[in-house]
Amino acid sequence: MTTNDAMIEFRDVHKYYGDYHALRGITATIRPGEFFSLLGPSGCGKTTLLRTIAGFEGISSGAVLIDGRDMADVPANKRPTNMVFQSYAIFPHLSVEENVGFGLRRDSRSKEDKAKAVIEALEMVGLKGYGKRAAHALSGGQRQRVALARALILKPKVLLLDEPLSALDKKMREQMQVELIRLQRQVGITFILVTHDQEEALVMSDRIAVMFEGEIAQLADPETLYRRPNSRKVADFIGTMNFLPASIISESAASVEIEAAGFGRIQLEPGQVMGGATAEGAAVGFRPETLTILYEGSAASDRESMATIEEVVYFGDMTYYDVRIDGSETNVRISMRNVFGRPVLDRGERARVGWSPGALVLFR
Amino acid sequence: MKSPGFRAYTIGYLIFLYAPIILLPMFAFNDSKVIAFPLQGFTTNWFREMWADTTLWNAVRNSAIISISVAVISTTLGLFAARASTRFRFPAKAGIMGLIMLPLVLPEMIVAMSMLVVLLAIGIELSIFTIILGHVLICTPFAVAILSSSFQSLDQSLEEAAYDLGETPLSTFWLIILPLVMPGIISSLLICFTISLDEFIIAYFLGGNETVLSVYIYGQFRFPAKVPAIMALGTILVLLSITLLAIAEYFRRRGIAKAGGKDSGGFL
Repeated sequence: MTTNDAMIEFRDVHKYYGDYHALRGITATIRPGEFFSLLGPSGCGKTTLLRTIAGFEGISSGAVLIDGRDMADVPANKRPTNMVFQSYAIFPHLSVEENVGFGLRRDSRSKEDKAKAVIEALEMVGLKGYGKRAAHALSGGQRQRVALARALILKPKVLLLDEPLSALDKKMREQMQVELIRLQRQVGITFILVTHDQEEALVMSDRIAVMFEGEIAQLADPETLYRRPNSRKVADFIGTMNFLPASIISESAASVEIEAAGFGRIQLEPGQVMGGATAEGAAVGFRPETLTILYEGSAASDRESMATIEEVVYFGDMTYYDVRIDGSETNVRISMRNVFGRPVLDRGERARVGWSPGALVLFR
Repeated sequence: MKSPGFRAYTIGYLIFLYAPIILLPMFAFNDSKVIAFPLQGFTTNWFREMWADTTLWNAVRNSAIISISVAVISTTLGLFAARASTRFRFPAKAGIMGLIMLPLVLPEMIVAMSMLVVLLAIGIELSIFTIILGHVLICTPFAVAILSSSFQSLDQSLEEAAYDLGETPLSTFWLIILPLVMPGIISSLLICFTISLDEFIIAYFLGGNETVLSVYIYGQFRFPAKVPAIMALGTILVLLSITLLAIAEYFRRRGIAKAGGKDSGGFL
């Protein structure tokens, strides 16, 4: 593999802590200049995997390559990576500029050049003029920015971010998400983000690796992950997905015919058929927004089913309906944008539900 | 909490604690060889007499050498032990740490006796050095206790961050860890110094011909004529202790303020 298409390469990486198998054969490639996320619930090994890139965590077997070079014998302080820690790890006894310039201590540049680099780095993260402040006097968001400037000043090949936004409040978090995307485009460095927040991963990433129990369950771009999750577990973890029991009637190389509760017979393309069913058996999955409640005069839908409205949750711009499609025994959720002039339906009302076979995924 | 009984108890407690200490300067300046009321008049003769006593100066010199050595050695050992116990996992850790901390509860008498027996058996001459050995043994647990709390409040990712930014483990220790645990180090130095300075049993058992301050003071009480000078010496020691504690507290608070931490007690 040439350096052009792999900034980071994991080759069958295993990690044991005593008897505990934390990483179970990770094989993946992260491209140069990519915003890559490791997404998963706590304890899935995503932080451990990130730390194997940084060099804080050794691996039991396999190989981690950065820019084509095996990192087996390279200690953390010699790796072309820098990290933004979950706690930010701002040195409390140093000023903002001393923190940001910390990595330049071993640099051969002149004092003036280093000072200039610090000022530029602070400007880049929107902290112009904060250099003389004491680090402990900063707010959470400002610390975050100092940590970013400190990591980026060394111009690493890869920036590692360990749940960097989890300590911020919602508004600040959303603002920092946008700024991180902008920053990544500006510096063009490979960013690797660890997060348990699926929304954050979808918003920010070029590609996402979803991890469960030390393994990568699916590695794909956000849209594929959302629309075509390869297992019910991934589908459950990312956003909301409805499931209805289904059974396969017939299958050929070109299509699969199934029978799903409430939907009847449906022809699916092979790309819509995934493994990863749960013990309950095969099921079709679909996102709440792929179903529509049809009103008088609505545009016709591919397919229609009749349903009873069981629950209504009004959100202002949206209404969530939990409906029971005739012929099925479980409720499914439909999200509808509230449009002026269209009434919000009540519990117990009957409704026509429109859907499209293309939006379904079969887990078998 | 505002009941009159509680107030009386508090006042009584403080009097019981500090009245004897207040007597020291009173009799140190009292113009009489007898330690008794009523006071006779003001004099600074006792300070002059004390100052001229060469055995006292010898004891002061010995005590200074011992206490400073003990403070430095115990704090250094404590630094290693505290670092190891907070940062690393190793076999039999609880047992090893328990053995290090044991002298804290071990009667000093036993430590002094057993050390005396062993030192005599292997033929080491009793001297300042043997006192230092004994004092290091009893001071190290205090150093470990103080420094462990400093290390525990240290975010481990600070070290990783420094390492990540290109520093070696050694320079990380020097640039990040040491400055951040410095208040603990100063505390430990002062506490160990103070414990060693006023320790009596070990200094008495293991001192041989060398006299330290505490042993010297005890010896002087046999001569009633010397007692007022001891009062003068005591007065100076009280002032010295208060000054040292004030300095320690100043550094501790400054350290916390600098690190942006929250003040959670301390010794003062």
